[in-house]
Amino acid sequence: MQGAAMAIKVVRVVLEYGMLLWLIYFTVSLSRRMFGEVKQELKQQHKPVVKQNEALLTVVEAGEEELQGRRFAFQEEITIGRGAENDVRIPENFVSHRHATIFLHGAQYVIEDLGSVNHTYVNGQPLEGRAYLKPGDEIRVGMVTLRFER
Amino acid sequence: MKNWGLLTAPLGIFLCGMSVLYLKMQGAMQKVTNTTLQDPWVYVPYLLVAVFLTIVIQMVVIRRHLDTFILPIILMLVSIGLVEIARLKPVLLLRQMQWLCIAMLVMFIVIRLWPKIKRMLNYPYLLGIGCVFLLGLPLLFGTEIGGSKNWLVLGPVSLQPSEFGKIILLFFLASYLSDHRRVLTLPAHKFLFLRLPPLRFIAPLICIWGLAVLMFVVEKDLGSALLFFGMAVLMTYMSTGSKSYVFLAMAFMGIAAAASYAMFGHVRVRFDIWLDPWADPNGMAYQVVQSLFAIGTGGLWGTGFGFGHPGFIPEVHTDFIFSAIVEEMGLTAGLMLIICYALLFWRGIKGALKLKNASEALLMAGCAVLILLQMFIIIAGVTKFLPLTGITLPFVSYGGSSMVSSFILLAMLLSLTKEQKNV
Repeated sequence: MQGAAMAIKVVRVVLEYGMLLWLIYFTVSLSRRMFGEVKQELKQQHKPVVKQNEALLTVVEAGEEELQGRRFAFQEEITIGRGAENDVRIPENFVSHRHATIFLHGAQYVIEDLGSVNHTYVNGQPLEGRAYLKPGDEIRVGMVTLRFER
Repeated sequence: MKNWGLLTAPLGIFLCGMSVLYLKMQGAMQKVTNTTLQDPWVYVPYLLVAVFLTIVIQMVVIRRHLDTFILPIILMLVSIGLVEIARLKPVLLLRQMQWLCIAMLVMFIVIRLWPKIKRMLNYPYLLGIGCVFLLGLPLLFGTEIGGSKNWLVLGPVSLQPSEFGKIILLFFLASYLSDHRRVLTLPAHKFLFLRLPPLRFIAPLICIWGLAVLMFVVEKDLGSALLFFGMAVLMTYMSTGSKSYVFLAMAFMGIAAAASYAMFGHVRVRFDIWLDPWADPNGMAYQVVQSLFAIGTGGLWGTGFGFGHPGFIPEVHTDFIFSAIVEEMGLTAGLMLIICYALLFWRGIKGALKLKNASEALLMAGCAVLILLQMFIIIAGVTKFLPLTGITLPFVSYGGSSMVSSFILLAMLLSLTKEQKNV
């Protein structure tokens, strides 16, 4: 009888602390898996950045013949506007003299609206200040649509 | 990654905990009666139903490429809660298991019908009115249970409409704020260092804030009021990114709190208890003081499951369940619980950042924030970090309405993780 009671007590204590340890093990393995997943994602994200450091603007839609189908490759910075000093010159009344600029910031490209009157649109949304560009984003300036690729 | 392995842990912990309790009963030569745990076979069917539903839901989750981490986390919280309820109020265990089965069924239905439910996001003003209606119900037909008049008694079941109101509120805020995000960030007036848009655009927000204060005052439901208000502020901040709203809301809340402190007795009592619980440790502050004793007794590894004295705390199975867990399983278990909530939150936010649709992203981030905020408010309450407010610890505390509404939130969170695969 004494032995049985003792055994029950031992089992109980083992179960009690087993429960707690199981909880700790669960939380630790859960967080390890989650962080592992994030690490993998980060690795995948880093790869394409290192390979290419050149970006491309493709004219998707334009009223002007000289712009149709053109592609502009750049590394550091590209400017868009009506003025002759711009890299992408769009001769339209809706476009400001110096309309927008895209420049390299760290590993990503940033588009900035230079206070244009008729706004720059990224994926149909008016751009406020600056925004990071993702590959495949469509930029609209005046009547011209450009696709950003890298 | 299918994470079936993680799902065994909640079941294992539940079985461990129950066997500890039965062994303890046998050791003390206790008989099975109505006030203690009943025979194991009473609980087995519900356990089997819950396990079956878990497997079904996880299979749906895997087939639809949803997030497989969320369900194990939640089930872990639920199983800790069930074990602790079995320890504290054995009579209520059966009810809680029934509610768990209902909640999981509801969760399954919500996941299945999600494409239809999602369309609610297109009707922000109907949602807003619905929310006000739901919250107004207890004002008209409410019954007072446990000091706050926020219960609806419908025959055998009593419901807390505010538990479901918070989900509607989430929908309303998500759809309203994503529609008006541009307008709300237009700086029209500058007031000191704050930049505020015209009044007509922030009127609905002020309505929600006012509603929260009304609940605070009339229904004496401090916890829900704080939760609603916090939700509104955090959602506004998440959608606009403007700190002006946070300052504005803080000022609003400060004024409301000061006014209600001056005018209403129950608010003053809560606040005074928070400032100095030792002024009246056996009277008004009994609950908080006992909760602090319990947490202190637990230490790092706890007194051992089933060997503490959490029964001294009134309402220990709902609001104060965290103190009971910390007393019996120690600070370690408490921290692990908090980490589980934090990981859930992280998972939610990570999914929300991947969503392209603004209103869905807001809804998902809102779900994650709501669970975390509720956890924070009640844990801060029982540890006397903030004035005590009576709300449930989501997924852990006893309570049918809270269980069902938390599982609906969870279903929303899970369903929204799907969209990221289409990108």
